[in-house]
Amino acid sequence: MIKGISCLAKACSWLAVVVTLGAVMLFLGFLGAKGLNTFNLTLFFGQTPPWEAITGHLPVWHGIWPACVGTVVLVLLSSLLAIPLGLASGIYLAQYASGSWKSWFSLAVELLAGIPSIVMGLFGFALILFLRKTLAPQANTCLLLSAVCLALLVLPYLIVMTQTALEAIPGELRLVGLSLGFNPWQNLVHVLLPLAGRGILSGVILAVGRAAEDTAVILLTGVVANAGLPAGILDKYEALPFQIFYLAAEARSEGELAQGFGAALILLILTGALFLGAYYLQSTFSRTWDQKKLII
Amino acid sequence: MGPKETDNLEPTARVAGLYVGFAGRGVLHDLTAEFYRGRLAVILGRSGSGKTTFLRALNRLNECFPGSETRGLINLKLQGEWRDIYGDIVPLTELRRRVGMVFQTPHLLPISIASNLALPVKLVLGLPRGEIPSRVEWALKEAHLWEEVQDRLDAPAHTLSGGQQQRLCLARLLALEPEILLLDEPTASLDFRSSLKVEELLLSLKDRYTIIAVSHSLSQARRLADEALILRDGSIVQRLSREDLQAPDTLQTLLDEIF
Repeated sequence: MIKGISCLAKACSWLAVVVTLGAVMLFLGFLGAKGLNTFNLTLFFGQTPPWEAITGHLPVWHGIWPACVGTVVLVLLSSLLAIPLGLASGIYLAQYASGSWKSWFSLAVELLAGIPSIVMGLFGFALILFLRKTLAPQANTCLLLSAVCLALLVLPYLIVMTQTALEAIPGELRLVGLSLGFNPWQNLVHVLLPLAGRGILSGVILAVGRAAEDTAVILLTGVVANAGLPAGILDKYEALPFQIFYLAAEARSEGELAQGFGAALILLILTGALFLGAYYLQSTFSRTWDQKKLII
Repeated sequence: MGPKETDNLEPTARVAGLYVGFAGRGVLHDLTAEFYRGRLAVILGRSGSGKTTFLRALNRLNECFPGSETRGLINLKLQGEWRDIYGDIVPLTELRRRVGMVFQTPHLLPISIASNLALPVKLVLGLPRGEIPSRVEWALKEAHLWEEVQDRLDAPAHTLSGGQQQRLCLARLLALEPEILLLDEPTASLDFRSSLKVEELLLSLKDRYTIIAVSHSLSQARRLADEALILRDGSIVQRLSREDLQAPDTLQTLLDEIF
């Protein structure tokens, strides 16, 4: 009887893996089949000569290059805002907070995690309306506003992953640095954070992925279909997820629809590249930590 | 071993009326003891009798846990001066490097062998960069490890065997110039042969450091201890000299009563 259950459980687990992998493969295959044949310079730059488009000398019409740049800038900017804040909050929750402060703060983080992205977009939009009526009549939806709202959206991933990674370090290991006479800060920087590095990286990857793909937030906070390369963080911009949405919804020809698939594939590759970048950073960091030679 | 020498030795650590509790629940009660440099003390007792808590009272590590409460007197002779470690203003970092601790399992950082020593030396002592390699070498020699690792100082520390890792932990302490060594079942995770090596090392260190070791093994206590303190329910119930420990009938009584 028990053997039968165990066999069944094994079969179910296998099935789950096969279904999941199958779904991913099917998805990638579909996207590849539809999108790969659109991969050429026209997809990116339209009719504009590539070099002039890249340097921004000539505007790009019917190409996704400005959207690629917009997404990269947007993700970098929101990471820049969210990562330090998320890490610091996670460290606070894991190391310093106690009692009712900790439960209040944790509750706030959970609430933030539960906010749908469209609501976050509305928040950004309302914020601009508020600013226009009060402090800054010139304020308008822009790249910076989107980045701030996205940062708020991904903040909970960073906080929770950092906190979990730090709290997962076994008890005695947290005492070792202190028992040697490290002060709490040295213990954190030289022992705890490096040990929690892998978990923190997972949070960063999740956050970056989420920031790159979100459409609802940027829809209400500054993205447009045609803006060219972002001129500054206070200007409108283009972004890949919105471009895909726009192309899919408003496609007037087979060619434009195919361009949408191409853009989707590019977004996937871009996110993958960002993940690899984050992974590479982390492994370089832990390697230098492994063979720390600066002191010997 | 020579005759009993307590009479002409001066203690280096005095504990009187020590109470330690966590969240109102007492772990140690009215504990009084003295320790000497040159007389290795082994604390024996069942698990849960407060052995680890006692060691952690001596370097104030209990305070890292929420709800801890410590009362009573702990005086340690550090750099020739008596210090009341809970009363005087001894900086915690200074106290903890003078009163080094080895844990049950070797907790090394996932960095190279040399860096495991160099990092604390740099952070805690602030030695100039040029002096660090010689300090590392000195500490490894002191811990009888130099011969085994001198060719692979840059190898990750976890490539060492369990016994070597534990001796590296000791070397890490010694590099910080401690005066008192607290050993919390230092051979608990080691095989017999590696345990003997660690014991041999401890015996060679005992004349220069005050060593207080917790052990779960009576036979280890008989090999190591100049004095054994039996802890039960948070109090010391018996003190045994080396001679007492060697006597066969004590062994039987101890086995029956304590374990």
